[in-house]
Amino acid sequence: MAGDASSIPEFDQEKYDSDEQVKIICLGDSAVGKSKLMERFLMDEYRPQQVSTYALTLYKYSTTVEDKSVVVDFWDTAGQERFLSMHPSYYHKAHACIMVFDVQRKVTYKNLTSWYKELREYRPEIPCCVVANKIDADLKVTQKSFNFGKKQGLPFYFVSAANGTNVVKMFREMIKRAVDYKQNPSDFMDEVMQELENFELEKKEDPACDAVKSDSPDLA
Amino acid sequence: MSYEAKRCGVQFSPPAIILMYRHKQTDQVRKRVIPVRNFSKYSDCCLAAERLKNHLRHQDYLGGVPLSQLERLHVVLRDHLLGHSLQHSLASFQVDPEEDLNKLGDEELARKKGHMDKLFEQNRRHKDDPDFVYDIEVEFSPSDQEKCSWDGESDDGF
Repeated sequence: MAGDASSIPEFDQEKYDSDEQVKIICLGDSAVGKSKLMERFLMDEYRPQQVSTYALTLYKYSTTVEDKSVVVDFWDTAGQERFLSMHPSYYHKAHACIMVFDVQRKVTYKNLTSWYKELREYRPEIPCCVVANKIDADLKVTQKSFNFGKKQGLPFYFVSAANGTNVVKMFREMIKRAVDYKQNPSDFMDEVMQELENFELEKKEDPACDAVKSDSPDLA
Repeated sequence: MSYEAKRCGVQFSPPAIILMYRHKQTDQVRKRVIPVRNFSKYSDCCLAAERLKNHLRHQDYLGGVPLSQLERLHVVLRDHLLGHSLQHSLASFQVDPEEDLNKLGDEELARKKGHMDKLFEQNRRHKDDPDFVYDIEVEFSPSDQEKCSWDGESDDGF
């Protein structure tokens, strides 16, 4: 059936298991500028793909992190955020999360609590950051400290999608953290999955393979 | 382009977009009345605005008018056809910083976004600008930071 999620290539989330693929999700209220931030970072290179049935937009981005090529899928909401909740598949296999609020609207800052709560229900350990957007509207806000990020131990960025301040820096750092996380996942489920995979390998293969595996630079 | 758009507005009857523009060669300011045809209270304002902006007879004059502005003018026209007052239309474009925009429908949200886009476009650095820099990094020193009033009040996780 056409409505079957697995029939859409982008919903084949198995691909996020491969080393060179990471998934980064954006969270935040309506009209905080999530898409504008994406567009500022990707400029003309972006190829957004609307998946309207699921109220989301996907952007593909290729880059290199420490000499290794990486394909990043950015997942952006397209209206679904209005319910202050996202479908579980949005969080599934995500490697990092960018949470955005609008410095001109307090409610978008207050709602970070619920966004963060939902994120942690599905992805307890993935890297996450707090992004204060639209600082071009009122530079004075950058004098203030917003404690939400600090309390949760999350990096905080003052950015402007309009004039570009700190947008590229924020995305680059988050891509790096997503890749790092993928190489050293600390989420319980990920660990269990890895253990299972290792277990199967050990069962199937002869001891020589184990020696090779422990030399793998990825695990060092 | 030999015309510079100065201001624009709407005329309810018959429905039209009014454009004040300056003729660059003669430096004269003139008024152009652009009739809005085949437009009803059921029309799509975005589509209608696009049609007008690309209209062969008007496109030279409307070149400097942002599409979002033309769309808003069409919304005002349509609101009028629906019996809404001008005050109502204008108020619907304003963004109340206390309002939770998650609770709005598509059309209402589009109006607010239109208003926000105005500021965005004003402050926007285009990649064609001569002084455009892709990666702009600015340190905001935490030393003189004051506590944000948004954090105070109750301790609901903030």
